Amino acid sequence: MNDVRFADAGTVSFDRRGTVAVEKRRRGVVGLVLRRLGLAIVLAFFVLPIVYLVSVSLTPQAEILSGTILPNNLAWHNWPAAYEATTVSLFVRNSAIVAGLSALVTLLIAVPATYSMVRFGVGGRPLYSFILSSYVAPPIVALLPLFYLLRRLHGIDSLWGLALVHAVANVPVAVWLLDSFFRQVPRDIEEAAWVDGAGVVGALVRMVVPLIAPGIVAAGIICLILSYNEFLFAVVLTYRPETQTLPVGISLFQGDRLVNYGQMAAASLTGMAPVYLVALFFQRWLIRGLTHGAVK
Amino acid sequence: MQSSFAVPRRRVWSSRGIAPRLLVLPAVVGLLAFAIYPFVYLLFLSASKSLLGKTFQEWVGFDNYRNALKDEVFTNALVRSVIFAIPISLIQIVLGLGIALLLYGSIRGGHLIRTLILLPLMTPPIMVATAWRLILNPTGGLLNTVLDGLGLIDKPISILGSSRWAFPAIGLADTWQWTPFVVLLAFAALLTQPEDIREAALVDGATSWTVFWTVTLPLILPGLAAILLIRMIMAFKVFDLVYVMTGGGPGFDTTIGTFEIYRVALQQFNVGYAAAQTILFGLLVGLVTLPFVLIRDWAVKNWS
Repeated sequence: MNDVRFADAGTVSFDRRGTVAVEKRRRGVVGLVLRRLGLAIVLAFFVLPIVYLVSVSLTPQAEILSGTILPNNLAWHNWPAAYEATTVSLFVRNSAIVAGLSALVTLLIAVPATYSMVRFGVGGRPLYSFILSSYVAPPIVALLPLFYLLRRLHGIDSLWGLALVHAVANVPVAVWLLDSFFRQVPRDIEEAAWVDGAGVVGALVRMVVPLIAPGIVAAGIICLILSYNEFLFAVVLTYRPETQTLPVGISLFQGDRLVNYGQMAAASLTGMAPVYLVALFFQRWLIRGLTHGAVK
Repeated sequence: MQSSFAVPRRRVWSSRGIAPRLLVLPAVVGLLAFAIYPFVYLLFLSASKSLLGKTFQEWVGFDNYRNALKDEVFTNALVRSVIFAIPISLIQIVLGLGIALLLYGSIRGGHLIRTLILLPLMTPPIMVATAWRLILNPTGGLLNTVLDGLGLIDKPISILGSSRWAFPAIGLADTWQWTPFVVLLAFAALLTQPEDIREAALVDGATSWTVFWTVTLPLILPGLAAILLIRMIMAFKVFDLVYVMTGGGPGFDTTIGTFEIYRVALQQFNVGYAAAQTILFGLLVGLVTLPFVLIRDWAVKNWS
């Protein structure tokens, strides 16, 4: 099962020529048109809010209030105005630091742990199940205890404190994603390395990690995005502009600082752009990582 | 899966000294800090009178729990979490499977659609909420403009200010964000079905509809059950959408469990009470998802 899954997940493809040929004959033109129409509606639904945000970000406030869908006069000034009204660039920087740091720490914890559990059976099934099931609990459960723990460690309202919380919170996800990648590596690889005199860590770092690098990258990117998007911990554990992440910053705009819808849209799009770029760039790996872990 | 937790097959694997155990240590420490410690801390907190700035003022036993169960705002919030999580995850499974089936038979534009469909999934929930707030905005939002243009309404309607529509609107935003996740996973599940059985049935004259119910669905049912469970657990965690779209209102009409706990702990600073609420909320999530865990296990055992 594992092996089949690995092969399949790697080649998730939307080209099913054989299937289509059979179905085309059976259902004819009407079916095809219906199918196209269905896909068009689906696409419209998923793209519409993003397109609308772009449109609003370029619409003068007066035109929005009077109810126009597409702007008559392009209001480019919404963008610089949004950056002047708020500290968006600071939020972007904070988010990048927290997300990058936390993804790195998550991998540093999860890669050796998963390796040890999958290969050496350390902790057995109980430990493995416990790590995964800890993700089932709603994060709000850990919120208050972590708040007090961080305060004692002087990590409250700091970038490293939030990054640490995100890092540990995402370990179960990383373990879940990495698990099946480790299982793909033949045991002979390490055995050969040990014969050559390498230690456990040496064999892991020099032989196993390079082999499953795509899986590690996929897990890292998913953890990066999870941290970047996270809101609950971020809003409670930080309170100065110097430490607040983008989602927190954008959530503040809802109140007083940006009643201007165009600026709100521009600021939101600024926050979305980095994840979209990452998603487009690493699309193949992301899909592989996500489908890999889930369809077990 | 089972076999890989057995004792390593050869002696070389069991004679590697202490190193494997050290490798798992940071994760265990993380687990202690993130799962065990919070749980124990919450238990103590819930048995005390505690404010955010001044914890453990005195022990009050089960008073916080008793009060929570008598508190209608809280019990209603629990009920709302359940009537959010179950239907929303079921709707998204059906929608996601439908879209995956549409994509499964399409050759052209597949890659473009896949890319575009990933975007909602990647969007920070706070921005999702912001976008939908702008769409539903009574003064010049997209929905009102369209309805007005079609002549369907005389005066602007405030969806997020409406007791009846605010909650479904949050569900809509959640569905926009997470259905793509189901599509991806359902599509991957569809790819695991042996194509020859399907085609043989089609050649034998079965309609695609029959083939779906008799061949495809039974094959992907275990996968779907697993996806349903994941989505349901995630739906119980929703917080951001409520925070930005409605702030729990109008009144308490969209106050779900997570938001209520946040409100009590960080707006009213009553953390002892919030701790008791958290434990009760955790119990509820466990109880509600348990049957679905069993369904998934049953599906995996009997269908694959």
